[in-house]
Amino acid sequence: MSRETSPEPSESLPVSAVAASPVGRSTAERLHVAGLHAPGDAVLSVRDLNVRFNSENGVVHAVRGVDFDLLPGKTLGIVGESGSGKSVTSMAIMGLLPETAEVNGSVLLKGKELLGLSDKAMCKYRGKELAMVFQDPLSSLTPVYTVGNQIVEALTVHNPTMSKQAKEVRAAELLGMVGIPSPKDRLKAFPHEFSGGMRQRVMIAIAIANNPRVLIADEPTTALDVTIQAQVLEVLQKAQDETGAAVVMITHDLGVVAGIADDILVMYAGKPVEAGVVDDIYYNPRMPYTMGLLGAVPRVDISEKSSLIPIEGMPPNLVHTPTGCSFAPRCPLAGPECLTGEPPLRKVPGSSAHQAACVKAEALGGDVDVHDIFHAPPVPVSNFAGIPREDRKTVLELRDVKKHFPLMKGALLKRRIGTVKAVDGLSFDIREGECFAIVGESGSGKTTTLLEIMEFHKDQDGEVVIGGLSNKEAADSKTKFAMRKEMQMVFQDPTGALDPRFTVYEVLAEPLVNQGMGKSDIKKRIMELMRLVGLQPDHVNRFPNQFSGGQRQRIGIARALAVNPKLVVLDEPVSALDVSVQAGVINLLDKLRAELGLSYLMVAHDLAVVRHISDRVAVMYLGKIVEVGEVGRVFDNPRHPYTRALLSAIPVPDPEVERNRERIILEGDLPTPLDAPTGCNFVTRCPVYAALPEAKKQKCLTEEPPLEMISASRAAAQLEAETSTALDQRFACFFPDGDLDQSSLVSHASAGPHAP
Amino acid sequence: MFRYLAKRGITYVFMIFLTTSAGYLLAVSTLKPALLEQERIPRPTPEQVVNSLSLKGLNPELNPWERYVDWLTGIVTRWDWGRSPNGAFINAEFGDRVWISTRLFLASIILTLVIGVALGVYSAARQYKFSDRAITAYSYLAYIVPAPIAYFLVQLAAININDTLGKRVFFVTGISTPGMDPGWAQFVDMVAHYAVPTIAITLVGWGSYQIAQRQYLLDNVNADFVRTARAKGLTRNQAISRHALRVSFIPVAQSIAFTIPAIFAGGFFAEKIFAWPGVGSWSIDAISQQDVNAATATLAYGSVIFAIGAILADFATTLVDPRVRVQ
Amino acid sequence: MTNLNAVDPAAVAEEAHLEGHEVVINKSTIILRRFLRNKTAVAGLIVFVALTIFSFIGGFFTEWDKSKIDPFSIGMAPSSDHFFGTSQAGIDLYAQMVEGTRVSILIGLVVGLVSVLVAAVYGCTMAYFGGKVDKVMLFFLEALIMMPALLVVAVATNGGGGGSFKQALPSWLLLTIVLLVFSWMGTARLIRSMSMSLMSRDFVKAAQFMGVPARRIVWRHLVPNIGSLLVLDITRGVTAAILAEVTFSFIGIGIKVPDVSLGVLIGGATSQVQTYPWMFWVPLGAMFLLTGSLAMMNDGLRDAFDPSSSSVGKAKKKKKSTS
Ligand SMILES: Nc1ncnc2c1ncn2[C@@H]1O[C@H](COP(=O)(O)OP(=O)(O)O)[C@@H](O)[C@H]1O
Ligand code: SF4
Ligand code: SF4
Ligand SMILES: [Mg+2]
Repeated sequence: MSRETSPEPSESLPVSAVAASPVGRSTAERLHVAGLHAPGDAVLSVRDLNVRFNSENGVVHAVRGVDFDLLPGKTLGIVGESGSGKSVTSMAIMGLLPETAEVNGSVLLKGKELLGLSDKAMCKYRGKELAMVFQDPLSSLTPVYTVGNQIVEALTVHNPTMSKQAKEVRAAELLGMVGIPSPKDRLKAFPHEFSGGMRQRVMIAIAIANNPRVLIADEPTTALDVTIQAQVLEVLQKAQDETGAAVVMITHDLGVVAGIADDILVMYAGKPVEAGVVDDIYYNPRMPYTMGLLGAVPRVDISEKSSLIPIEGMPPNLVHTPTGCSFAPRCPLAGPECLTGEPPLRKVPGSSAHQAACVKAEALGGDVDVHDIFHAPPVPVSNFAGIPREDRKTVLELRDVKKHFPLMKGALLKRRIGTVKAVDGLSFDIREGECFAIVGESGSGKTTTLLEIMEFHKDQDGEVVIGGLSNKEAADSKTKFAMRKEMQMVFQDPTGALDPRFTVYEVLAEPLVNQGMGKSDIKKRIMELMRLVGLQPDHVNRFPNQFSGGQRQRIGIARALAVNPKLVVLDEPVSALDVSVQAGVINLLDKLRAELGLSYLMVAHDLAVVRHISDRVAVMYLGKIVEVGEVGRVFDNPRHPYTRALLSAIPVPDPEVERNRERIILEGDLPTPLDAPTGCNFVTRCPVYAALPEAKKQKCLTEEPPLEMISASRAAAQLEAETSTALDQRFACFFPDGDLDQSSLVSHASAGPHAP
Repeated sequence: MFRYLAKRGITYVFMIFLTTSAGYLLAVSTLKPALLEQERIPRPTPEQVVNSLSLKGLNPELNPWERYVDWLTGIVTRWDWGRSPNGAFINAEFGDRVWISTRLFLASIILTLVIGVALGVYSAARQYKFSDRAITAYSYLAYIVPAPIAYFLVQLAAININDTLGKRVFFVTGISTPGMDPGWAQFVDMVAHYAVPTIAITLVGWGSYQIAQRQYLLDNVNADFVRTARAKGLTRNQAISRHALRVSFIPVAQSIAFTIPAIFAGGFFAEKIFAWPGVGSWSIDAISQQDVNAATATLAYGSVIFAIGAILADFATTLVDPRVRVQ
Repeated sequence: MTNLNAVDPAAVAEEAHLEGHEVVINKSTIILRRFLRNKTAVAGLIVFVALTIFSFIGGFFTEWDKSKIDPFSIGMAPSSDHFFGTSQAGIDLYAQMVEGTRVSILIGLVVGLVSVLVAAVYGCTMAYFGGKVDKVMLFFLEALIMMPALLVVAVATNGGGGGSFKQALPSWLLLTIVLLVFSWMGTARLIRSMSMSLMSRDFVKAAQFMGVPARRIVWRHLVPNIGSLLVLDITRGVTAAILAEVTFSFIGIGIKVPDVSLGVLIGGATSQVQTYPWMFWVPLGAMFLLTGSLAMMNDGLRDAFDPSSSSVGKAKKKKKSTS
């Protein structure tokens, strides 16, 4: 069942490796499979790891021959779409798979075989030599024990003789190390009192409690906001520096690991399909899958507009053993030679460590354009492209919209202890054919803004004008009905947004029936919609659970488009999707906007996605817009310190850039709206403020900066001089371009091992 | 915490007031002690009956609302729950019987909880093994037997044991043998009287706890936080017993609200079957005696038990789940 | 393992591949097929149906009825004359069983069905209106839960006359009504919390944003999604009502002679277990068959409705064989 390729002749074999490996393969091959390194130096070497699960439909071969070596202090990135076997690999190493799983191969930790050890024997290594950080910080801590308790437990398990005081001191030290303020007091807190980012820090504290040799992090930041992701990645790196541990970093996003990994292993369908040092993978990929993954990531640092690379189709079913290249059904280069036997991982000529499992690897490389290979659709051009913004009609306008929630406290008699200003005086407008994005951390009021717009009733605080209809003038049911026709919404979670008991036909028919359309017209329209969003029309009788996440999101988009709205509200439309799937949906949105002349109001936290798709962007912080303007201007010349921090937090899939980048790490989380400062909202976390002289600080503390255009910087003045119209960029800060506090700046310029 | 409990307490007092009032009005309009009085020998005249009942505050000629007002006034001003048609005072009678009932239930409730939860944990740990299947099957069986029938069967079994052994090991009715010397003999007598009812109630009661605890624990054995604990270096069993178990107690604690009243209801049947002069058998007798005040008093008692159960559940939940703790 | 529970695209593809060709719309067919695959559930269904048939046509197989005394066989053990024997008074137990089973099943079905209906309406109303309406209705509901049903049953069925309904209604109907009043609250609460969580789901929001009227949202989105819960609660409710009938009649506060039910038969025979054991064990056995078959059906239905359970079922078996 496993691959049986042994292209190179046998050489002398180190004993441990042979004994462990079920398939007798040569050292040379193993060496090259594993990269450069001699296995003797590795803290962790994995050989021919295979995992099988018994499932209802048969045996799922989830991991099929993973090999790698991890050197002390180095970082290995494992990358692949979800379902490619990354998590199963890491769990197999940790010995945490259910007993029903069948695990074969060899996992050597400092030369000792771990596979086949009993649960009890494994416990000696788990948490001491081998530690792990999991994806979902919200559910990974026991809700009924204090954080301190859970850290202390990790110490107790491996140091039974340690005194209680010593353990507590160490626990506080660990919490401090992962950047939790006043760690001593926080030991007594329960997990639910912590935000997601803080819980992930606690997880890291637990993982490094016993100075492990190997730290496995399985998508540790996927569930977190970008700013928090940057913090957590920073903490992980700090933890690695402190403990000298080797790190296995698992992710589906090639951007995340570009800056921190030394080596990369790309997995597909349970198998490594490309491996090598980080620069090889990013600059010289030899496997179409890797190239696709790289092309799928939108970039925040480049404004050049080209379509993203979507990898169409779905990963294969692991119940059936592939007879050819497992990527062939989705590979644009697939030919008949790809279908005869799975291509083995082979050395790429001209590089000692780089291997790819593709028959055409030789022909590929850094100089090949992915767009050509994947036939990326051309960048769609909208009818509105030539018309200046001022001359287009306004489809949505918000004037000073506010939404305040009273915050009640008290059991017997509730009293109002404050106000949560979820949305605090928002004004903006959207023109025809335009995409306007709102970005910000979670909790900044993005979703509330959308809900306020969708609400559309008279008693709202502030005015909402949709297609010329104002909520103040007429909010009777007829106007509302007309408004619903103008504007539709696409939700973040494609699964939750579709009634599981509706077929796709019923889902799409609902808005049409509601508009009173006749049966045959509905049918015609639905077929049209299915084609429009790139789904097969004959799939209308299926239920949502028979589609993949990306397809479900397409159904959601089709439903929104059913009544021909002018404006589509997109709430984090791609954040629940894998990058490769995300690219397809983004391309679709781009195409629809151009073809149908739609306007978008989009909420997102991924600034790279926003840069790719938006024309204008507003950065929100604690209910207010702190910076707004044309995407290129805001992103290339951010003036507000918060925008600067957000932008610097976005990882770029380019190791070179990542290594030399200076990153602004914001302190802490979004403050609770109750503690909202009196002067500038951002003052508690502002890196510019922190560096200001005392005299100037006073201004930030007492006055609220207005949202306006100040041509303070010479660069801006110059730009303005060059262009005839005023710059489309406004921000709310007294000290734009101010110097940043040095302590909030992090740069890893020296850390890059392969830096040229 | 205190304020929270106080708030709940007030809500429950109001509810008890409502249910008791509703109960009184229902009882007063359906229970007619006059009919029973008239069956006495010698047969009293209707006037005599009215007179005798009026003396006890049970005048059948007043309309239900008037009687309700009288009755409520008595309770509010004097804490006087009225009298029975036979002249007995409810307050006095009630005091004795509450004790008897409480003694019977307390042991059963504790045993039910402890055994149910323990067996739930045990069977979850040996999921799909024989012992798990046997225990769980028993619990399902307990679920489909009506409580009084189960008590009756236990009683039968006890009688059989006595018969086989040829001597009286268990008493299957009553609470004590009168005229026992205080000391060891009295203690043995007490145990012999208590054993059968307590065993009967417990045997029927633990089933639902076992099933619930087993299910909740199984829901948690693969939780993310158990995996975290294992990643720290705890064995699977340690991780489950230290982490999953504690979390699985939360819903069980919440269910106390409904089980304490259920066990008390079971106790009513038990008193009837084992002939214990507690509140339960009193209430059933009271109803057949057309005794409005006694029936209402027991109904109020039932509501109070429910409220106590609910508050205890809140309390227990707070104890095991820090997330609901009110600062 | 959050990750592992996520939708597996491969499995989706597989499913799509398997079922894609024929048009897969009929969910009830799938549910029926799953139910039928579950042997216990089918056995339960067969037993239940058999008992029901027996209770309706069983009377044709005997010449005796519940009021006819056979002076020649008093307190006789089962024989070919009297299939289940006779009572101390010489009344044929078989005839009594036919009638008693029918009464018990009828009470169970009526209470089970109607209480779930009431619960659904009440629970959905609470969830839909929310706010003050919800608060008041919840209070009423909890107050009803607090009422010791047992005593109310006793009062209602023992009222010493004058009581208007006591005379007008046969005791089984009276019991049915009282059981109904006290049986729907738990389900109502469950339905309320379930509909509330459905109301906050995105697909309901989507419908609202499309301008779909509230009525249609309830009918098209809420009701079908709590449907499986309702069906399960019907079987559970029927079981509970049958048990309640037996319980109350057993201790003498439910159905009263001359009406017959399983509870009355079991309760009436307690004093004669030693002398006329068949009088006790036969109706008790019937009750077990009834409640047991319902419990088995409930189990099977739950499996059939739960989309993830069929795989669990197989995993269980696998695990068993390996361990
Ligand atoms: N316990 C299990 N039983 C059956 N199949 C499983 C189990 N765990 C994982 N799988 C399957 O293994 C494959 C790889 O999953 P996973 O390692 O989670 O991928 P990734 O982490 O790359 O997203 C998937 O097809 C998944 O469905
Ligand atoms: S082997 Fe063929 S199908 Fe597979 S990745 Fe290479 S070119 Fe594509
Ligand atoms: S006004 Fe002051 S505190 Fe606010 S963002 Fe600007 S520098 Fe920072
Ligand atoms: Mg994963």
